[in-house]
Amino acid sequence: MSARDRIESGLRRLVAASWAERLGLSFAALVASVLVGGLIVFFSGTAATCQEPAYGVFGLTSCYNPISVYSVLVTGAFGSILSDPFNFNVALTLKETTLLIFTGLSVAVAFRAGLFNIGSQGQLIFGGLASAITVLTAGPLLTGVGGFLLVPLGVLAGALAGALYGAVPGALKAYAGANEVITTIMLNFVAEQIAFFVVSAYFAAPDSQSVETSEIPSAAVLESALFGSGSDFSIVAFVGGLVLVAGLYYLIKYTAFGFDLRTSGLQPEAARFGGVDAKRTIVSSMALSGAFAGIGGAVWVLMVLGRFQTGVPALGFDGITVSILAGNNPLGVVPAALLFGVLKSGSLAVQLSTGVPIQLVGVLRGLIILFVAMPEFFRLLGKQFVTTDREPAVATDGGEQTPTEPPSTGGTDDPGGER
Amino acid sequence: MTDAVVLDEITKRFPGVVANDAVDLTVETGSVHALLGENGAGKSTLMNVLYGLYQPEGGTIELDGEVQEFDAPRDAIDAGIGMIHQHFMLVPPMTVGENVVLGNEPTKWGGLATDRSRAREAVRELSERYGFAVDPDERVEEISVGERQRVEILKALYRGADLLILDEPTAVLTPQEVEELFDVFEELTAEGKTVLFITHKLGEAMSVADDITVLRDGENVGTVDADETSREQLAEMMVGREVVLDIETESVETGETVLDVDELTVTEEGTDQVRNVDFEIHEGEILGVAGVDGNGQAELVEALTGLRSPDEGTVTLDGENLAGVSRRGHIERGMAYIPEDRQERGLVMEFDLTENGVLGGQHTPPVGGTRIDWPSAREHASDVIETYDVRPPNPEAGAKSLSGGNQQKFLVGRELERDPGMVVATHPTRGVDVGSTEFVHDRLLALREAGVAVLLISANLAEVRGLSDRLAVMHDGEFVDVVDPDTVTEEELGLLMAGERPDEPTTTESVSADGGER
Repeated sequence: MSARDRIESGLRRLVAASWAERLGLSFAALVASVLVGGLIVFFSGTAATCQEPAYGVFGLTSCYNPISVYSVLVTGAFGSILSDPFNFNVALTLKETTLLIFTGLSVAVAFRAGLFNIGSQGQLIFGGLASAITVLTAGPLLTGVGGFLLVPLGVLAGALAGALYGAVPGALKAYAGANEVITTIMLNFVAEQIAFFVVSAYFAAPDSQSVETSEIPSAAVLESALFGSGSDFSIVAFVGGLVLVAGLYYLIKYTAFGFDLRTSGLQPEAARFGGVDAKRTIVSSMALSGAFAGIGGAVWVLMVLGRFQTGVPALGFDGITVSILAGNNPLGVVPAALLFGVLKSGSLAVQLSTGVPIQLVGVLRGLIILFVAMPEFFRLLGKQFVTTDREPAVATDGGEQTPTEPPSTGGTDDPGGER
Repeated sequence: MTDAVVLDEITKRFPGVVANDAVDLTVETGSVHALLGENGAGKSTLMNVLYGLYQPEGGTIELDGEVQEFDAPRDAIDAGIGMIHQHFMLVPPMTVGENVVLGNEPTKWGGLATDRSRAREAVRELSERYGFAVDPDERVEEISVGERQRVEILKALYRGADLLILDEPTAVLTPQEVEELFDVFEELTAEGKTVLFITHKLGEAMSVADDITVLRDGENVGTVDADETSREQLAEMMVGREVVLDIETESVETGETVLDVDELTVTEEGTDQVRNVDFEIHEGEILGVAGVDGNGQAELVEALTGLRSPDEGTVTLDGENLAGVSRRGHIERGMAYIPEDRQERGLVMEFDLTENGVLGGQHTPPVGGTRIDWPSAREHASDVIETYDVRPPNPEAGAKSLSGGNQQKFLVGRELERDPGMVVATHPTRGVDVGSTEFVHDRLLALREAGVAVLLISANLAEVRGLSDRLAVMHDGEFVDVVDPDTVTEEELGLLMAGERPDEPTTTESVSADGGER
């Protein structure tokens, strides 16, 4: 078997892998990334200077202890979760997880429709801005019991603004043929600058050095029930995220719209044949994608900051990685977002309580994501590869299930399919 | 006379399947040998083994009396084997000469440059020797399909092939081009070359081959002398049971006009792909359209099925003008459509059969609607699978995992089970084996008897002639003529397909296919 054959058959096995196999593979990748990361930490420590080596093995001493780095990472992410399940570390982890669930879903739904939405970031900014403006405007009008309406109103405003801003590149693609990758990237900058302008010109908080709105009314803040105040995490938002996950899963799997969306994503030509209005599907799935990102922005404002502030963290971009990690499956978005949350809060702890420099912590995070994402990435790649020769070259008897196609050798020709 | 090829007990397995089961094959030097079999009989696998693409689990390959082992096609090429695939491996912007020498270019200046003049000379000499009318300086993208095939043959000859393997060489050719190809076979064998070709068409094997070997389910059923066999015998060998070859149509009383097409024109990038096409189809009638691929059939079908809107003219279905009606609207009005390209258009390869059974019906009850009823979708898929003998009989099987013939059977089944009033069928039996072809034909005829109007577009002349009540011939976007399929000869059809107008000068009006004249 030549090297090329091995790569090909490896890709084919990846594509054909079952759910359980893929989970196992992700776990193995996680372990491998920890091993590699540990080695990197250890050897960087041998070169660093410190007063007292933290770890030594075979006569080699290192300033950093790779074992404690990972144990701090885990405790940093979960704290003492067994004795106090609602501790601050868990809140920090779940806060990040919640935000990334929304942007992960945003990217995933577009992906399933065959659209690469890199504009979740911009849609999230608009969603957050619209949410903040709405609750700031409605706050004085809705007092007392009416205050309960503020949170739903803010989330709705975020969803709408995100949907509209997502529909723009959708319409540009459907009716003018503009590539959504380009337009969504560019619209991110537009959103950022418009937000900057709108906030500084009309909604700037008085006496503030940064470009931000005033604080939103307290009735509009998503309360950190269960978890201590100041944790900036609300279980309500997390549960809301899970509900959206289930909702999107149902939509994709069980509705005619979901069927249209998946068909368009896999084979636009077949979708057209099946009576799917391609243009409408593009616009509506981009709008749906934008709505998820917009809700993410609303939650960021209502739960985390309590106001809108420019310089929004790259939640939308992380959503792309989350979605790929999840294999673009809504159900997979939850564990993928959780991994990001764990790494976020865990690496913060590593940076604070071990001597490991922040850059090295970044390397460890990157390694974990890289390792875990690679199998899925190669799976996507393999799918492209396998679908290029759809007609099985192997003729089998009387239509038995065609076996996994054996690899063709790297000769001058391809095996001709028997048609 | 020696034997060019002796295959002894070749066995090739793929996971779960024996594609070739101890197959023997002997091919005499200087003969034309046809390898005949249904889809999935193992013909291509056997040839790929011989060409070094696959390594067999057992058996030996002997060429001109010497045992050979091929690890890769390169070894087979060195041993004098050339293979011409169904899909040509040519570089369209390059000239014929460049394509022929590609990979084996004569060089000059110590290997630093290609010696173009020597290459051109070599190609010219080869093509003259075998009587190929190809100009080495023409670009491949500018020559016809038949000529491209000859370029492929030249390429193999240039590399020194003595044995030429052709995989379904006639699938893409017009009847005239097929004749020319068979003349080429004669030239080749006259020069001592050996030709081995794969086909599933009985007539071809009988008319051009010296010997015919039939494969069925990966086994060699037997080798017969082409002069001493009959179509019936070959069909029986292929299928394993007796097959009725002639399509028997009973005359059916035609009823109301179902589809009325008036002065239809489809324009793309400034040129008319379909020009002023006019016809009607009635209840219980099959209108056939014959023509070489690429003469506007695809565009005509898209305009009829709602995939594109006509630039001029109208399409009326059951008295309703379909202008502005969406593709979904066409489906909902009872128009079934068997598309030409099952892997791009008709089926979603990543979906399983249950999901594919929903395609097109996802918005209509009982299976579709706002919510898709998956249990009844599965039942529907199982029904189609059972009725149309799709194998494997598993609604959870991915469309991708099915052989081409089974994909087609499922697709045809799904469309015909829509209970349509009108069927547009393009190449409904392309790539389907003899047994299933018979079944699809029966179904189409049953629909016709039930009063369904059918538009049948097929490259298979025997099929359109056998099934159609009237036969339109399309060339360059126009209906050249509408003929009686029972009385027209193959030669006449061939000429019409090449764009020769019928003898008497005619106006657009009279060549148009106004229905109901029969």
